[in-house]
Amino acid sequence: MKNLLLILLTSFIIAGCNENKEEIKQCCSTDKKQEKATDLNAQLPGTSVYQLEDAWTTHEGNQLLLNQLSGKPIVLTMIFTHCEYACPMMVNDLKKIEANFSEEERKEFSFVLVSIDHLRDNPERLNEYAVTQGLGNNWTLLHGDANQVKELSVVLNISYEMMENGSFSHSNRKLVLDSKGNIVYSQDGLQTKSEPVTEAIRKLL
Amino acid sequence: MLLKKDLVFLLMLCFVTVSVSSQNNGMVLIPTGSYKPFIKGQAEEVQVEAFRMDEKSVTNAEFSAFVEANPKWSREQIKRLFADEDYLSHWATGHFDQKNDQQGSAPVVNVSWFAANAYCEWQGKRLPTLSEWEYAASALPQGSKDPGSLQEIIANWYSRRSPAENDAAAFYKNEFGLWDMYGKVWEWVYDFNRVQYNEDSRNMEEAPEGLFCGSASLNASDASDYATFIRYAFRGSLKGHFTVRKLGFRCVRNK
Repeated sequence: MKNLLLILLTSFIIAGCNENKEEIKQCCSTDKKQEKATDLNAQLPGTSVYQLEDAWTTHEGNQLLLNQLSGKPIVLTMIFTHCEYACPMMVNDLKKIEANFSEEERKEFSFVLVSIDHLRDNPERLNEYAVTQGLGNNWTLLHGDANQVKELSVVLNISYEMMENGSFSHSNRKLVLDSKGNIVYSQDGLQTKSEPVTEAIRKLL
Repeated sequence: MLLKKDLVFLLMLCFVTVSVSSQNNGMVLIPTGSYKPFIKGQAEEVQVEAFRMDEKSVTNAEFSAFVEANPKWSREQIKRLFADEDYLSHWATGHFDQKNDQQGSAPVVNVSWFAANAYCEWQGKRLPTLSEWEYAASALPQGSKDPGSLQEIIANWYSRRSPAENDAAAFYKNEFGLWDMYGKVWEWVYDFNRVQYNEDSRNMEEAPEGLFCGSASLNASDASDYATFIRYAFRGSLKGHFTVRKLGFRCVRNK
């Protein structure tokens, strides 16, 4: 036990000598970022979905805190890209909603798709999916770890379960969030009417 | 230099933490095995990999240490997204007080799924999955050979007002060495919101199997098992921010 501690300490001190200052800087600037995030969250309502503090990775490979989505309404849903049946229909539903808006209007809100499949849907895979599905600039696909995906699903009341073949069964729910991250509308099902969601977004623009 | 000293201290702290956790204090090993799922899905028996589980529910005293170390989980600071207004309402001042509140060794209740999840994470553990919990709870009381003895414990529990104030280890220990999986409080599981049916179905008008009430009985492995019906229905009715007077939790970690 004592020996192990000694070895650990020694190896640490050796490593410590090589420590470069940049790393230390990195540590502290992250702290500041975290503080800033907490400040912003204090301004958001306690019930805002954006109170979830973990950082996500976008399909473009950028880090994103949910509170960075605040300021404009979003349409939010959870998918997985290996999904053969329900998810393409879900994306089609969302495209139909998008088609109800003019070019100008589309700049005022965005679509956010969060992957349930944290193992297979890495940012590169999500990017491929965005390209093949022809999703525009106002679409963001998010990758997160297992626990943050679970937490978000609990907040959104979306249930999912991994099947033995690695695919998922999950609820097909679209949600509209206002500019502060409050859930203002949700719709369950596939091949649903686009008007109610469109109307819910329009009210927020 | 100062920085290095701090770092050495931190490392030592890490080391101490590792050596404490490797002793698995208060946890018992649940060996690999299987249980018969209540809602019939793809399998007759659900296989569960070995894991370690807290031998009793997390207590008021234990949860209090977490809240004091992490003020954002205190009653004053918690965001409504993560817990409803009854969060920790059994602590008179919002902080646990050994003198005026219930015993420190009683299971903590009125905690949301988010708070339970955060507590386990803080401990370097996690919440059990539904399968892990059901499998762990399926073991008979120690020394008992009668499969009915577990049902009896559950039925007795449902039919009396059992004070949550009781010690977290009070009623019975099961064959795995776990205290009071039944008999005192319900417990959160990680995937309480998992689907019990396949929604990826073309005909959305078809009533999904596994939804409560009623339809589940068609798919239950033992339709006379009312106690289990109640447990599954209760779980299915929860949302992550709900807090309930008889709902606590315990943590697990991988073997």
